[in-house]
Parts: sequence; C-alpha cells; structure tokens
Amino acid sequence: MGINSVEPSDAELVRRVRTGDTGAYGALVSRYRDRLGRYAVHMIGDREDAEEALQDSFVRAYRSLARCDDPARFGAWLYGILVNRCRTTGARAARRRRTFVHDAQALDLAAHADQADRLDWTDAVDRALARLAPDYREAFLLKHVQDLEYEEIAELTGAGVSALKMRVKRAREQLQKYLREAEHV
Amino acid sequence: MFEREDETVERVIQHLRRPVAIDPGLDARVMREIAQAPPNGRRVKLWPLLAAAAVLATVLVVRPWIWNAATTVDTLQFVLVAPQAASVALVGDFNDWDPARSPMQTAHGVWATVVRLAPGRYRYAFLVNGVEWRADPSAPAAKDDEFGTPSSVVTVGGRGS
Repeated sequence: MGINSVEPSDAELVRRVRTGDTGAYGALVSRYRDRLGRYAVHMIGDREDAEEALQDSFVRAYRSLARCDDPARFGAWLYGILVNRCRTTGARAARRRRTFVHDAQALDLAAHADQADRLDWTDAVDRALARLAPDYREAFLLKHVQDLEYEEIAELTGAGVSALKMRVKRAREQLQKYLREAEHV
Repeated sequence: MFEREDETVERVIQHLRRPVAIDPGLDARVMREIAQAPPNGRRVKLWPLLAAAAVLATVLVVRPWIWNAATTVDTLQFVLVAPQAASVALVGDFNDWDPARSPMQTAHGVWATVVRLAPGRYRYAFLVNGVEWRADPSAPAAKDDEFGTPSSVVTVGGRGS
C-alpha cells in the first residue's frame, strides 16, 4: 500500500499558469533547469553566460506563453527559445575567452589521485567542443547529449534532417581529430 | 596508439552527459522576474473567441509624424485591414508580446493603433481574435523568431523600416 505521487504534466502546469497560478511555472522551471542548463553550458562554454541565457529563456517563455500552441509540448517549445538564445550569446561569447565549467562530479573526481588525468580529459573535451563550428556543436549536443531525435532537432533549429546528420557526422570526426591533436601537445 | 573513433566519441558523449551544476538561485531569480509581469496567455484566455473569418490583410506601417524633430522617438501607426475580425491587438518586443497593452481600434474593418518607439529593431505581429498570429505582409519577416509563430520586423531610427 502506498501513495503514488503523480507529477502534473507540462500541459496541466501551463494551464495553471495561464489561469494565474504563477507558482506552477516554478515547477516547470525545476523540471527543465538541469536538462536545459547542461545544454547551455556546453553550447556556450561559459557558466555565467549560460545561466543568463537559461534565465532569460525561462522569462521569455513565461511572458510569451500565449504563443505556445501546444502546451503538451512546452518542453520542445522552451528548447527552441533556448537554442536561439544560445546562438545569440554564442556569437558574442565566441569573441571572448572561454572559461570552462567543471561540473560537480568532475570536482569530486579532483579529490582522487588521478585528478590530473581526469581534469586534462575534461579540459581537452571542452576545448575540442569549443573548436567546433557552432552549428556542428549545436547538432552534436542536441543529438548525443540531449538525446533528441533528428526530427525534433530539425523542428528546433530549422535545419533539414539530412543537413543535421551531416553536421553530427562532421562534429564526431572533428572531435576525434582535435582530441588526437591534444594527445600530442 | 589511438582509440577507435567511436570509442573516443562515445567517451566524450558520456562525459558531456554528466550533470552540470546550475546555480540553485536561478529558480528564484526567474520567479522574481516573472512576478513583475503576468503571462500573456492569462489575458488572452479571457478574450472572446469568435469564429475565425477569412481576413483580408493589408497592413500599412506609416510614420505620419514625429513628435519632435529633436527627439529620436518615432511614432508609428500600425494598420491592419481585417473587416471580419472581432478583435486585433498589436504585439511585439516593445510591449512584451502582451495583447492587452496595444489593442487596436477599428473603423469599418480597418484596425489601427499608434505606438511610440525608441530607435531599435523590433519584432511584432498581429493577434487576430485572440488566437490567430499574423505577420505583417508588407514588412520584412523576422528570421530570428524563436516562438514558432509568424512575425515581422520594423526598424526605428532612420535606417528604414
């Protein structure tokens, strides 16, 4: 015996927000912050810029909730806003020095004896990712890190599926190349 | 000796999939910011939803006058010919896409409203009958719209609109 806790759906939370329950939006923010935050951090490469982009995307989505035609797909709609926001930020950030984020798990690993190797690997991956063209990085992250289907990515980015597959393929090849180069530095 | 490509990329993917620590204060900042402005949907819902009619849209964005030659603020009149519409609102970056802030007035099916805008580039659209988003067919389409509905662009500040 027990009580089953059922999380309200996105559609239900959007409905509540639209009828004045601002707190329901907090549930949506909690639901998506980590998933979208990971994308923003890896896409932009700078934690502060990424969090600013994420915050701005949540606020813009809230203020434009009337434009979310299908509340059941709020997440996909929000992704689209963040992807665009990251493009804008990325264009600016590309001109600045990138500072890389070591996540909590990586910081935990730093306590271990093999910390140098681990952090070297983290740094190498971040640098390789930063060297990718933004549209390659975007496609690679959405496909392999955010685990979206190509059709979903096409909807978010406006690119065709075949173009996206090409971008992901090139991204994989280039990551391999850049990491090989890093091994020889 | 190198790892095979798939192994290296797979290792990268697993690395990138690990959780990233986001500032726990972000939620509070979002909620504090949105508390200052209710969502548009809340107001839109209260609007009467009348049967959609074919709308003949001829839109003119005119700049009939400038309040003061010394100021850089322009006054723009947005006009939509929509004889069968029950309501039309102008929404855009300049009013947080809030239909309540720029409702358009009608005379014989010609809907109009006047907005004062500082120099800049703005995206906008018309919300017809509270549900139908329409871009301005006589203005450039916004290429960078992230909301998935049609919108247009107007530039204020002497470089054309």
